[in-house]
Amino acid sequence: MSRSLKKGPYVDEKLFNKVEKLNAANRHAPIKTWARACTIVPEFVGHTFQVHNGRHFNDVFCTEDMVGHKLGEFSLTRLFRGHTNKKESVKRG
Amino acid sequence: MPRIAGIDIPEKKKVRYALRYIYGIGPKFADDILAKADVDPDKRCSELTDEEVGQISSIIDTEFIVEGALRRQVQQHIQRLRDIRCYRGDRHRKGLPVRGQRTRCNARTRKGKKKTVAGKKGVKGVR
Repeated sequence: MSRSLKKGPYVDEKLFNKVEKLNAANRHAPIKTWARACTIVPEFVGHTFQVHNGRHFNDVFCTEDMVGHKLGEFSLTRLFRGHTNKKESVKRG
Repeated sequence: MPRIAGIDIPEKKKVRYALRYIYGIGPKFADDILAKADVDPDKRCSELTDEEVGQISSIIDTEFIVEGALRRQVQQHIQRLRDIRCYRGDRHRKGLPVRGQRTRCNARTRKGKKKTVAGKKGVKGVR
C-alpha cells in the first residue's frame, strides 16, 4: 500500500459540506471555489463548480467519469495562444 | 512450434524469456505464470510438451489481459481522459508529455521529429 493510499483522498471540508447541503435540499447551484486540490468524490457528480484558475472561475460540471480526479485538473491555469510567426513579431517589435 | 496467446511464437529461448514476447507479460508475470503452471522456467520453448503449453495458455487466457485486448484497454483509458477534458487528456490531445516533463527542450518522444523553425535562433536584423 502506497503512502498516498493510506492517507486517503483529500476532500475540502467546507466544499464537501456545501455539496451535502445542496444534496439534502436536492438543489443544484454552481459553487464558487478555490479548492483546486480537492478530489472529486461521488457526491459531487451532477454539480457544477466554478473553479478558480488564478484569474477567473471556470465552470466544471462533474460527471461520473471525473470521480477520483481533482477539481484543478479541469480548470487550466495556463493560456497558450500559439507561437508568433516571424512577420508578426517584426510588426510588434 | 508452441503457440501461446494467439499469435506469439517464441522459440529456442527459455520459456521465462520467451513469454515476454507477449504484449502485457514482463519478467514478473512470466515467472508468476510458470510457477503457477508448474513448468521449469529454464526449459527451452521447443522442449515444452503440449500439455505444458496448454497449461500456460489457459492461465494466460483466464487471468491476464494481453495483446489486442490490453492495447484496446489502454486506448480506452486514454480516451476517457480526453473525453472528460482534464489536463492529462489535453496533453494527450496535443501530443505533449503528460506527466509534467519539461517541453522547452527535448520531449522528442512525444513531440516527434524536430521541426525546424526558420529564423528562430541567431537570426540577425529581425528586430
